[in-house]
Amino acid sequence: MNKGYLCLVLHSHLPFVRHPEHEDFLEEDWLYEAITETYIPLLWVFEKLVEDKIDFRVTMSLTPTLISMLTDPLLQERYSKHINKLIELSHREIERTSWQPEFQHLAIMYLNLFCRARDTFEHHRRNLVLGFKRLQDLGKLEIITCGATHGYFPLMDVHKESVRAQLKVAVDHYERNLGRKPRGIWLPECGYVPGHDELLREAGLKFFFTDSHGVLHGHPRPKYGVFAPVYCKNTGVACFSRDLESSKQVWSSIEGYPGDYNYREFYRDIGFDLEYDYIRPYIHPDGVRINTGIKYYRITGPADQKEAYNPHGARETAASHAGNFLFNRQKQVEYLYDFMGKKPMIVSPYDAELYGHWWFEGPQWLDFLIRKISCDQDTIRMITPSEYLAENPRNQVITPSMSSWGWKGYSEMWLQGSNDWIYRHLHEGSERMTELVHQYPHAGGLAQRALNQALRELLLAQSSDWAFILGTGTHTSYAVRRTKDHLLRFNRIYEDIRANNIDEEWLADIESKDNLFPDIDYRVHQ
Amino acid sequence: MVINKIKNSVKKMLRPAGKAKAVKTVRQKVAASRVTAKKTLKSRPAPVVSAPEAKREVVLGINEVAIEKTKFSHPQVRKVQRVMPSELPYGYGKDKMVLQVRDPWWLQTYWEVAAGTWNTLKDKLKEMFFNAKKVLRVYDVSHIHFNGKNAHRHFDIEVSHEASSWYIDVGGPGRSWCVDYGLKLPNGEFITILRSNTVNTPLDGPSWVTDEEWMIPEEIFGRLYGMGFGFGKSSPVGKGWQERFKHALFSGVLASPGITSAGSPVKLPRGKGRQFWLVVDCELIVYGATEPDASVTVQGKPIKLRPDGTFTLRFALPDGKQVIPVKAVSADELEERTITPIVSRETKSSQVLKEMAAT
Repeated sequence: MNKGYLCLVLHSHLPFVRHPEHEDFLEEDWLYEAITETYIPLLWVFEKLVEDKIDFRVTMSLTPTLISMLTDPLLQERYSKHINKLIELSHREIERTSWQPEFQHLAIMYLNLFCRARDTFEHHRRNLVLGFKRLQDLGKLEIITCGATHGYFPLMDVHKESVRAQLKVAVDHYERNLGRKPRGIWLPECGYVPGHDELLREAGLKFFFTDSHGVLHGHPRPKYGVFAPVYCKNTGVACFSRDLESSKQVWSSIEGYPGDYNYREFYRDIGFDLEYDYIRPYIHPDGVRINTGIKYYRITGPADQKEAYNPHGARETAASHAGNFLFNRQKQVEYLYDFMGKKPMIVSPYDAELYGHWWFEGPQWLDFLIRKISCDQDTIRMITPSEYLAENPRNQVITPSMSSWGWKGYSEMWLQGSNDWIYRHLHEGSERMTELVHQYPHAGGLAQRALNQALRELLLAQSSDWAFILGTGTHTSYAVRRTKDHLLRFNRIYEDIRANNIDEEWLADIESKDNLFPDIDYRVHQ
Repeated sequence: MVINKIKNSVKKMLRPAGKAKAVKTVRQKVAASRVTAKKTLKSRPAPVVSAPEAKREVVLGINEVAIEKTKFSHPQVRKVQRVMPSELPYGYGKDKMVLQVRDPWWLQTYWEVAAGTWNTLKDKLKEMFFNAKKVLRVYDVSHIHFNGKNAHRHFDIEVSHEASSWYIDVGGPGRSWCVDYGLKLPNGEFITILRSNTVNTPLDGPSWVTDEEWMIPEEIFGRLYGMGFGFGKSSPVGKGWQERFKHALFSGVLASPGITSAGSPVKLPRGKGRQFWLVVDCELIVYGATEPDASVTVQGKPIKLRPDGTFTLRFALPDGKQVIPVKAVSADELEERTITPIVSRETKSSQVLKEMAAT
């Protein structure tokens, strides 16, 4: 008999980056890298577990922008080219490292990984969403949704119409792609403000997540802390809260597993290390050096001197870290079980892209962890939020506190000197969108197309990713450009609609560029 | 004829600066007040300097930020081509004031006053208008329906004339706030021009209210509270536990020691002092040509010829001796030629640090 539950949550998100107007667009690599290094390796782990008849439960968000990109034929075609180039580069690397056996076997490892990735991609008919959907249909994954474009809701609070649009577009998009309605949501950046649960309820969502202090600072006091969900007052939407102890073990740069010296070093990539003329065909056509994904070193230690990566040693380390994580959860659950007189729920959410992309061995760690939980012990059971609520329908009612999982726990990451200028324009956009919906409640034809595109542009401008990049203060030009472009496009549509002067050619052009959410209905913005 | 050529390549091992400096995402605490909108539109944030940052506070979310940032790889330089070259408008020509919560202690507001509104005020106030100060009046409107007069208290912040946004230190978690932008006349009278929306700051600690049905003793709650924040069983308990948590969570005690010793991935810039460096490596290019239909092996391994019979191989060249037999066999297998370049590499290095010239 188990004494508690573990709810692993992987939040998978990338902003919508798709530039048909350029043959090769650097920021699209965010998607290609994540496909090769995270999404496909996660599918490998989950599919193998199913094949081996290992029962497991993982909760995973697939954001609407990510689903849009994964299902887009242009990006699929470009990914196919991208992976083929990597395969070509791996072949060249195997030859180049002939006299360096310590690197050559790694070049062979990459060749195998990339070939397998290509096979998996083609096996799913280039649509990886189908792979995750199958795992949900098998009852192993619970896929949850997110804000349509990952808008940060606390800073949209003055225009709840926009929060509503983010939610309704997301729910609708989820249903079209995954064949049923989503039960829960990962609030973008875990950004919660009391009252937004009402908007979740309207959208048919039954649960969401906050960071620890979202529940711990809720009102009244949560009897079980973060170790049991609560229902929001008046709406009954369930709120699950992050356990920071289990988070720190993976996230933390100090105590976290990914910093282990045996693991692969993220920052030493041949895209930066090798001679320019040789690597030139595999970096950006402008000649700018970028990551290729081929990395030969292990973290080794704090110094710059790095040693060759040893996959077997790293695998051993991943196994022992998985054992350590499980051991700590068992101790935690046993202690809490006695303490609370009830089975605790440990919620451990992570950015999915942490696994594989940033922490190369992350998928292996996950695989070991799940197998150990399934085969080696009875203290902990993996569970999804929906299952937990079905088994434990009685929970305390509180009002969670405003919170996020960003820097310092509130809104500062997205509201500071470098990015606060955007809100004046974003909020004006929301106000104008609401005005348009009121003025043209039954538009058809060209006007309807323009109104739908206006909402797409507004949603794209609202992505928290732009403010995030501006907030980090480095390489901000793309984020500035995206924020401005979408707002400028929105403003132009707004003016054209009001002047009854829609430029169909121009509209068709931006429809073809910002082509996500083909079934959007502008009326949801109210 | 086979010619071999040693290619010495002095490489700058360029790194993705954005990633290597992930820890720099911990930006300075925003200064007490800023005139932001105007400045940030015109100028980008100054590049962050490396040295003092190691000491920066490490607080909630730092790892999430650092990791999330790695998703967004960037080139060193990027030319910006604007699809639509025009800039966003500076304002929208209307009276508007918006108030937002940054955290339990700070609010942010931005505003815009239409030209017509300014003109009306000028006409009405005449001389006084030009002697008036521009002021934010911050009202504590917790638990009331604010009518402009019934606030629990208020305080004023004088702002510069051109300011259109401000960060406000209210220092009041768990309260409700509203802000007016207005003119303070020399006689002390305050004239409201704009009024913001009302916002609520979150609590910065646990609620003092316990639900009757879900009662929990203080001591036990304190323990659970600490465990939720990852303090484990060593959670501070007893008198004053709340204060100690607050200190640990929001002042950086929680995660600060040791981040400087982290190897990777949250990587810190190199240490203080001089940062000069040099990396040198060698590669060897072996190339040649033969009859297009010949079979060629290099070090015993068959290689592919180009359609014109030429070939090029490129090897990383480690220290030591490489014997590289290149053998070609004619298509009819009657003729065979072998040429064997022998290459050796030896690397020496030295370091000199000259005395700094007195300046």
